Amino acid sequence: MTNALRPRLGGKILRGVFLAVASVITIFPFYAMIVLSLKPVAAVEFPRSLVPWPIDTSSYDRVLGGGDIPLWTLNTLIYSVVSVVLVLLLSSLAGYAFAKKRFPGKETMFWSFLAMVMVPYHVTLIPLFVLIAEAGGVDTYWGLIVPTLANAQAVFLMRQFIGTLPDELFEAAKIDGASEWRIFATIVLPLCKPILATLGLFVFLWHWNDFLWPLLVGKSTDMRTLTVGIAALQEENVPLNVVLAGATIAFVPIFAAYLVGQRYLTEGVTMSGIKG
Amino acid sequence: MTVTAPAPPRPRSGQPPRPRKRYLRPEALLGLGFVLPVFLLFLVFRFGPAIVGVLLSFFEYTLGDSPRFTGFDNFVRMFDDPLFWQALKVTVIFTVLYLPLSIATSLGLALLVRRSFRGSKLFRSVFFLPVITSLVLAATIFTWLFSSSGPLGKLIGDSWLASTTLVIPALVIVSVWSRFGYGMLIILARLQDVPRELEEAALVDGAGPWARFRHVVLPQLRPALFFLAVIETTTSFQVFDLVYVMTGGGPARSSYTLVMALYDQGFQYFDLGYASALGVALFVLTLFVALIQRVLMGRSK
Repeated sequence: MTNALRPRLGGKILRGVFLAVASVITIFPFYAMIVLSLKPVAAVEFPRSLVPWPIDTSSYDRVLGGGDIPLWTLNTLIYSVVSVVLVLLLSSLAGYAFAKKRFPGKETMFWSFLAMVMVPYHVTLIPLFVLIAEAGGVDTYWGLIVPTLANAQAVFLMRQFIGTLPDELFEAAKIDGASEWRIFATIVLPLCKPILATLGLFVFLWHWNDFLWPLLVGKSTDMRTLTVGIAALQEENVPLNVVLAGATIAFVPIFAAYLVGQRYLTEGVTMSGIKG
Repeated sequence: MTVTAPAPPRPRSGQPPRPRKRYLRPEALLGLGFVLPVFLLFLVFRFGPAIVGVLLSFFEYTLGDSPRFTGFDNFVRMFDDPLFWQALKVTVIFTVLYLPLSIATSLGLALLVRRSFRGSKLFRSVFFLPVITSLVLAATIFTWLFSSSGPLGKLIGDSWLASTTLVIPALVIVSVWSRFGYGMLIILARLQDVPRELEEAALVDGAGPWARFRHVVLPQLRPALFFLAVIETTTSFQVFDLVYVMTGGGPARSSYTLVMALYDQGFQYFDLGYASALGVALFVLTLFVALIQRVLMGRSK
């Protein structure tokens, strides 16, 4: 009886065909991106342009040789990595307090976090930009990073997870005379490894792929992130193979992160609905 | 900072514990200390700007000048502004096309990869790949795919993005491509919870695949589909990256969305008061639609 719901052979074949077609459609843009980045400037006409051979790496020579892409990659890396470290630290501290501590104003604070999720980001965008601009944060790393550290979703996730840890763990350590910092660093954080991995990957992706905020804050060419830089190249009518070489370079770390951490990403979505 | 928490002071018998005393405990201070950094960041960079954003919509304000209170002028201007109505129209058309298409794609593929079989994991991984890819990358490659040199352009013999009628469908296609994997995972998670026995019982009763889906599976999926509808509506109301890179709102403003208008007013013309009013309009629209969805959801139960 347990196999009664399995499709029969015809159904299986049909399913296989559907999934194969859907996969090809899904992968095709990535294939086109990589192959076109390996073509000479003029070869963009379909279908000839999508034949992988011969390979021409002149776009990569140009992009990696001296242009702005290495600098933009560095900017993106700083934006993403610093944000991941700080968001994880701040949100695990707050999540621990919200889950396990009693203090005045706890509920008020928590609900104000919740309420803010309802307000679209774009309502806050203008004042946020004025604030950063007046404080001299345009074209600086701190101006780019600091406003993104107020991440409500991260605090929720950490609170939810730490809430499931048994209190006895902390009580026992407290009786043994461990300080709160010690409890946090040696008990809470190690137990949070899976959720920190999930959250860290998502924060990395959000920042690596972020566009609007870096577009506003990174005014000078030197302060662009990869997404802003690639959009600018496209706008400046730089040849397609060069734009797509930049795009491919921007895609590699994302793909690597996906290969390593796919389980954490998909579990994050299915467990908490965290937005990809 | 090494603070050890002593046992809470015992109240004397017969007297209730004084609540103020509790707040002075080291544990409370510590809890506050742990939350404070995030909370301050939140006040300064989310909460404050949200309030100022609403207030600014009642002012005339250019960067560098001091704000001048103008009451409802920005909103009056908005209702007279053909560009606002155009942006609203584009945003609504985009959402109306995007929402059913993306949810149907997510649902269809979730049902196909639902049971594990050889390769089912690989299919799921492939379908999630676009979700983690930046919209700017998607935009650069799809710009070519839709151009008169690319395969999709060749299909219709012209560039999609140069056509006032095909530009929104093109943007919808890219959005669906980049988001369906997320919806698929949300639906899959819910599908795991559909009791097998229910479906088997329906099978025994002679229900075909469609009847089983319609009467057994679909009702169980309702919360997940509702969640998706809310999230994806918000996403499509705020569509910006794709439009900015692929069309800049053109041709002839036929893909000019609300956030694109907000960006132009705020950061091209530095008309910050009017841009804030557009932000408020977006907020009201989001709340309004969320409310409608809530009511529909409640009624269909």
